[in-house]
Amino acid sequence: MNNEKDIYTEKSKIPASEFELVHNDENLHDTKFETRPVGWFEDSVRRFAKNKASVVGFILIAILTLFSVIVPIISPFNYYSKSEFPDGFRDVHYRDCAPKLFDNAGGFWDGTVQKSLGEVDYQVKVNTDANSPYVVGKPKVIEDVIGSKIYKTYVTRIDTYAVGTAVVEMYDDMFNDIQAYEASKNITFTLDNMHKSILKPLIDYKDYVDGELKTKLETAGAANVTNIIDQAKNFYEHNGSVYYKIFPTKKGNGYSDTQFEPVLDANNKVIDLYVKDASENLVFRSTEDRNVRVDYNAYFKFKYGKSVRYVFGANLEGRDLLTRLAEGGRFSLLLGIGITLINFIIGLIWGAISGYYGGTADLIMERVTDIISGIPTIIIMSLCSIQFTNNIALKSALGKSGIVVLAILIAFVYNGWVGVAGRTRMQFYRFKGQEYVLASRTLGAKDRRLIFKHILPNAAGTLVTSCVLMIPGVIFAESSLSYLGIIDFRGSGIVSIGALLDEGNQAGIKSYPYLLLFPSLVVSILMVSYNLFGNGLRDAFNTTLRGSED
Amino acid sequence: MRNVKDTLQYILKRLLLMAFTFLVIFVICFTLIRLLPIDLSAGLGKDPETIKKQYVMMGRMRFVNGQYEWLPIIEQFFNFIKTLFVPPKDIETGHVLSRFGYSYQIAAGSTPDQLLFSRFPPTVLINIYSMIISVPIGLGLGTFMALRKNKWEDNFLSVLIMIFISVPSFVDAFLLQYFLGYQWHVFEPVVLPLADAGGSWFSPAMFNSMILPVLSMSLGSIAGYARYTRAELTEVLTSDFMLLARTKGLTRAQATVRHAFRNSLVPIFPMILGEVLSVLSGSIIIESIFTVNGVGGLLLQAINTRDVDVYQFVAMFYILIGLVGGLVVDISYGLVDPRIRMGGGKQ
Repeated sequence: MNNEKDIYTEKSKIPASEFELVHNDENLHDTKFETRPVGWFEDSVRRFAKNKASVVGFILIAILTLFSVIVPIISPFNYYSKSEFPDGFRDVHYRDCAPKLFDNAGGFWDGTVQKSLGEVDYQVKVNTDANSPYVVGKPKVIEDVIGSKIYKTYVTRIDTYAVGTAVVEMYDDMFNDIQAYEASKNITFTLDNMHKSILKPLIDYKDYVDGELKTKLETAGAANVTNIIDQAKNFYEHNGSVYYKIFPTKKGNGYSDTQFEPVLDANNKVIDLYVKDASENLVFRSTEDRNVRVDYNAYFKFKYGKSVRYVFGANLEGRDLLTRLAEGGRFSLLLGIGITLINFIIGLIWGAISGYYGGTADLIMERVTDIISGIPTIIIMSLCSIQFTNNIALKSALGKSGIVVLAILIAFVYNGWVGVAGRTRMQFYRFKGQEYVLASRTLGAKDRRLIFKHILPNAAGTLVTSCVLMIPGVIFAESSLSYLGIIDFRGSGIVSIGALLDEGNQAGIKSYPYLLLFPSLVVSILMVSYNLFGNGLRDAFNTTLRGSED
Repeated sequence: MRNVKDTLQYILKRLLLMAFTFLVIFVICFTLIRLLPIDLSAGLGKDPETIKKQYVMMGRMRFVNGQYEWLPIIEQFFNFIKTLFVPPKDIETGHVLSRFGYSYQIAAGSTPDQLLFSRFPPTVLINIYSMIISVPIGLGLGTFMALRKNKWEDNFLSVLIMIFISVPSFVDAFLLQYFLGYQWHVFEPVVLPLADAGGSWFSPAMFNSMILPVLSMSLGSIAGYARYTRAELTEVLTSDFMLLARTKGLTRAQATVRHAFRNSLVPIFPMILGEVLSVLSGSIIIESIFTVNGVGGLLLQAINTRDVDVYQFVAMFYILIGLVGGLVVDISYGLVDPRIRMGGGKQ
């Protein structure tokens, strides 16, 4: 034995250059291969690279992965203080902001949207003391004649970033800073120069509404005075930029309790409701609390040194959709890959056993997979989430996000492996009768060795590559179930593409189409690229197809 | 050779197996659903006392020491099986109670089966319209692509089909709904309720409002059928018997239609047959997007409102449709193609 080993080592020491092909005849029929030998893997990679579609798929996947990793890191919204926004920037004032990539691009991706405003709405939106104009460009006026009255509708582009004025709480330092800044830039608010300053005078509408407006309405004999008064207060509350006197629109013989129009003086100007102190100066800050009325855009820029710009728009919380999409994409990708891995391992073991042993074991195991695959994921998912959210012990142990992830794991793993098991079983049926298995068994190999050392490696190529196609399946299932609200991410802090779709759905496709369209776009690209990539991979690693495409 | 007795025996065997599978699934689902925490006080327009009384009569609760308490699930199960054969009776009024329980949230007082049947028309209509559109177009496109294999038409259509297969159906639905429905006002963006559409499922207004869901369901199916047909047909077109058909004097068109197309239908026909059955179960997501008041919507509603009896009934209905669909596909493979011996052993 020792001797034999010596000979082998001895022989292996001979350098390759000493070998030459044997010459027995005059004519040499065998010639040495001049080309480099190509292994199975190298051949597969080469055939994969030849398939343009799958390379495109691969590149798309790489881009999406990079996107989901890099965007949250380099997001311009990281600029805003982390201590003020621990779970990412958001500002409800900017909840309506549409996607904005360019400035003033005539309506294309510039944060403006088309809107039709009624006469009264239009007047209210135009007459503000805010700095940025709400209406962009010249409105198209459509006149409808109904009876003797003419109703005007203004079809116009509006700037969703013109959020008007808002009342914010402010500390002395900030207030003094802003005043000093305004003084240095010479933009202090005056009645003649109202569209430049950051600070706006406070408004007192309560006196007007409860006093003048009420008396006027009562003298005019309106029927629903209390209601109108309430609605007027409500109106001022919701339209912070309305700094002037309003009066309900005439409706038939009475007055509307929902529509208000500005009251104009003799010079056709609005009558302001600014708070004035004893010496008739405008009051910018209330003495009782720290409330200050500001032009929100200017204030924001002063506070953070930079204005907001949502490239994909903002959601209804005022969060950046682009950053959230990247986070959602990351979660969906991780979920897809993680669940596919788990399913692959379970399916492999199950399929190997059922395929290798066959007979009764196979019959029973097949029945079990029949039963498991007979119950749709949606049912297990809904059962899990109802059961878990009501389980207080589990909730306190795992937290809201833990519960959701656990429910998803159970629902997606419980029947996700059935496909892999079926494929593995087929491969085992194919290989277990082959001669090399018989040879190994004759030499005394145990079942476990036959399964894991002999058959599985042969089947692995086909199985692994076909599993890539399971990833888009998981992503699709997750996004549809989240869209339907069966997977409920709300309040868990997890962002997935499905959760974003659900958010867009709640916001309404009609008013906020971008909240649905951008997540849809990302999920579509994900699905397309994984399908391209997976199909290409499957074909490339399938040796039986070799040469058939050429 | 195929023989009728063998076939019938095979079908019977499969049916029994299916019944067994269904029973096991039913036991699992029943247990899981009964394990759910049910909040009886949240009943719509019914006071908990009445519900509990009804539950006692239906064998789910018992009244001991002046208190209602749940029966063990195993007992509930046997009571349920019993009531399937002998419907429970209301002890006070003598009315026959429902075998399948009652809806307490979606439509208080109606039974799950009534609810399900009332939701069939829109679902079935939309599915049938979608099939009528997608099967001929899909097969036609597939045939066209196979005949033009590797030409630019084929390549172009292949890319389109790949996109439509990969892109989730709800994305198609959003795009169609947003652009054709809300932006350009070509079609109704959501399916009208019956009352708004003139009270008939076949009124023009109803049809118009169903176009978008039908379209968004068809796009994926067309792509699926086309891809399958193309794959099958290209394989058949290169077989030897096609050469023989041409040699014996058939024209290309004759050979393609009579020999190639028919043979390529062998695996496609069972696919269509399976789909015929599934017209009964609606696509949950499409129905939710277009607010179709259909079967899929009912399942979703039952989940969201925790209407357990309806949930159980509709879920079992979906499972049954899935099982029967699989069975029909398997059996029809054998019926369509005599070469496939159903349930054949090794020999």
